[in-house]
Amino acid sequence: MRITAKEEYFDEPACEHNGVAKDKKACKTATPGSSTGGCALDGAYIVLSPIKDALNIVHAPINCLGNSYNQRTSETAQRENYYMYGFTTAINENDLIFGSEDKLRQGIIYVFNRFKPKAVFIYNTCVPALTGEDIEGVSKELAAKLKIPVVPVFSQGFSGNKNLGNKIAGDALFTHIIGRKEPEIDLLSDYNINLIGEYNIKGELFLIKKALKKVGINVLSTITGDSTIEEIMYSHKAGLNVVVCSKALIYLARKMKEKYGLPYIEGSFFGLTSTNKTIMDIVNSIGDYELTCSAKKYIKIRTRNTEENIYEYKRFLTGKKALLYTGGVKSWSLISALNDLGMKVIATGVKKSTEEDKLRIKEIDKNGNIIMLDNGNPVNLIKIAREEQVDIILAGGRNQYTAIKSLIPFLDVNQERLNPYTSYEGMEFLAKQIYFELKNPLFKLLKESNINL
Amino acid sequence: MMNPIKNIEINPLKASPSLGAAIFFLGLKNAVVLMHGAVGCASFDKVTLTKHFRENIPIVTTALNEYGAILGGTDFLLSGIKNIYEKMKPDFIGIASSGLTETSGEDIAGIIGDFKEKQGLPFSKLIYAGTPDYKGSLEDGYIQAMLALLEDFSDKEPYKTFKKSKKLTMSVNVFCPVSFTPQDFLELREAIGYFDLKPVMIPDLGLSLDGHLDERGYLQTTADGLGVKDMENIHNSEFNIVIGLSLGSVVKSVSELTGLKTYYFPNVCGLKNSDKLFDLLSELSGKEIPEKYKRQRRQLMDAYLDTHFYFLGKDIALALGIDLLDSFSMIYSEMGANLKVGISTKFSDDIKYRFLNFYEGDLDLLDNYRNVDLIVSNSNAGFYAKDFRIPLLKAGFPLIDEIGHGYKHYILYRGAVNLAVESANLLNKG
Ligand code: SF4
Repeated sequence: MRITAKEEYFDEPACEHNGVAKDKKACKTATPGSSTGGCALDGAYIVLSPIKDALNIVHAPINCLGNSYNQRTSETAQRENYYMYGFTTAINENDLIFGSEDKLRQGIIYVFNRFKPKAVFIYNTCVPALTGEDIEGVSKELAAKLKIPVVPVFSQGFSGNKNLGNKIAGDALFTHIIGRKEPEIDLLSDYNINLIGEYNIKGELFLIKKALKKVGINVLSTITGDSTIEEIMYSHKAGLNVVVCSKALIYLARKMKEKYGLPYIEGSFFGLTSTNKTIMDIVNSIGDYELTCSAKKYIKIRTRNTEENIYEYKRFLTGKKALLYTGGVKSWSLISALNDLGMKVIATGVKKSTEEDKLRIKEIDKNGNIIMLDNGNPVNLIKIAREEQVDIILAGGRNQYTAIKSLIPFLDVNQERLNPYTSYEGMEFLAKQIYFELKNPLFKLLKESNINL
Repeated sequence: MMNPIKNIEINPLKASPSLGAAIFFLGLKNAVVLMHGAVGCASFDKVTLTKHFRENIPIVTTALNEYGAILGGTDFLLSGIKNIYEKMKPDFIGIASSGLTETSGEDIAGIIGDFKEKQGLPFSKLIYAGTPDYKGSLEDGYIQAMLALLEDFSDKEPYKTFKKSKKLTMSVNVFCPVSFTPQDFLELREAIGYFDLKPVMIPDLGLSLDGHLDERGYLQTTADGLGVKDMENIHNSEFNIVIGLSLGSVVKSVSELTGLKTYYFPNVCGLKNSDKLFDLLSELSGKEIPEKYKRQRRQLMDAYLDTHFYFLGKDIALALGIDLLDSFSMIYSEMGANLKVGISTKFSDDIKYRFLNFYEGDLDLLDNYRNVDLIVSNSNAGFYAKDFRIPLLKAGFPLIDEIGHGYKHYILYRGAVNLAVESANLLNKG
């Protein structure tokens, strides 16, 4: 039974900026008594649950799933909506004494018969991992019997954080799904890429796909927004992996490179500059002259167009100060998006960023003006926001109340975001949202009414 | 063919006892919740509670890693407690265990007890609720925390003997179920106040989570709620009121731990039960029922008449925690609504007669009732309602996809009016 996480999860050999001293444990342990991000289960579930035709079964007492499900905003085009279902074995006291492998087995057979999924993911969690339940054995047995992939995901929370969970999920896809099928020939255009780490929050994937399609690039598989098991099975046949917004899934891209010789690049579709750069990086990797021309042309038109549309907002936002507190890739990709709007980023959270992310920040922030915030403690955020007189805090939902209770304007840029912020359309949404938030007279009213603040 | 053995929860209605304990602790003033387990539990709970209450939720974790899971979490627990105290100096640290920390079989209560004994200096009150995730549900954890709090304040010195005489107002301890919205708490507090009684709400989720902008801005701990001082005085109250079907089992303990006479109401919803509560308050305080509530009573009677037409021949499916199921079915039954199915977190012989069918189970049971006219459940049932094109009255826990339910209330006369009117409008649309 695998109860400890694989050592290789903690290595980051794919670093493109060589020679950087790295902290080998990519997933540091949290301090007891602090508020933290999610566990490995959380991270794995985020990666795998957007797959439309697979079922996700959390093998756990009621808490792991029951306390928090149906909260992701990943979207799907068709009405297939398995991801709206949360499944759990809800391990009880009896199961703990007599074992719950059989319960798990029967549960899976039941849902298989009822939903006819194309695959089943079984998530291991703290309690069954500790008691040593053999979910790997159950998976093997049922995969043979049901003739679909039944994939064990070793995501027990005590093994690590969300980031680790992302990797574990990537590993599960790599080991059990990817490479299991060949695509129909007519699916294969010349320029096929996979998008890795894009979960289609608020339909962001659709916007990215739209832009890529205009350029002439086909997204063969998305891992995993709006995806199917089948497309992930044949994803190894793409010409390029593009890892967006997920440091953790570089791990998967690297494995695919080793096994299938599939090259990969990293990119981001937040903001005008990033979107343009990522599109150019993709076409440059493909290296086709006509495609490059088409991309350049498209980018020029769209850039002009978007700039026109955000002109008024930008005029107002220029010089305004933002504090950014979000994880990983967004810690730098949003900086460039905000710079596109003429805004100054005063500080950015780097608690969940890797050394590479930090280097990227430095690349964008040539003069080293941006404060890198290691301490995401809300009190610290507010302190900096006040000292630096920032105009807005952009962060995840858990900091919403930190900001607004202190009467500082706020925009959610994590999972709970109200709008898609990728690609050209996303840039407009972002500009508009920040503009209206800052223009809002409410904060002034409340400050005047709340003399103690 | 379909396998008859289900053996799996599909879209659970239940949440875990540790989450219930956390909710209880959030009703204490200047408190922090410490979840003893791996990082994920606290994080999931925090996300859900933040969305449900639309408030900052002070929950932290002891952050057990592999080492702690296998070799024991004592060090994690103790350093968690110390770190919280150093950083936030809360009055209360409410500690809940988890499936993980209970499975490894450590004597958590003992560890905390030792720590308290050695701690001579003033320190946060440590209240520990044993809440293994594999045993019971949200309601059970809430009760565990309630009893833990009472126990902590009952092994004190006998209370100052000059009690009562000098007091102008008599206080009463009020124990409400986890199903109460913040507004429910506030309404009840106000009603009791009308009788010149001072209510001590245990816990007070009304004061802590009603969503008010505190003049101190962002706080690391709960802004308001039931305070240490309030707790120190509970034994000087005149009597206890315990409300909630799920609290039926603790009436005796509450009475023993406080040494006070205890009056119990499974719910205070609808006409008859509100009458009973107001009669009791009137009797015990010697005050007449205030005009305001007499008026509301008449308004409720009228609202029942106005709305009952919409219910005729219509079927309602309810999937709610046991306390709210009891409360709502009470109101619906008074109006003669047809309750096709009740799904809950627990089975209850006391209320099953109100329903054609009654189950303890998951939201997926709704799949067998695609022809009802109204579903009453939490946000997670939204998907079924949409799929079956049936209107959904959102209530219970969690309510994460819309805002404002914290201001709603369903208790007392006015609460019944609210439910009757909201339901009638949805039935009329559907
Ligand atoms: S930390 Fe463990 S018990 Fe808690 S949610 Fe994660 S997997 Fe479940």
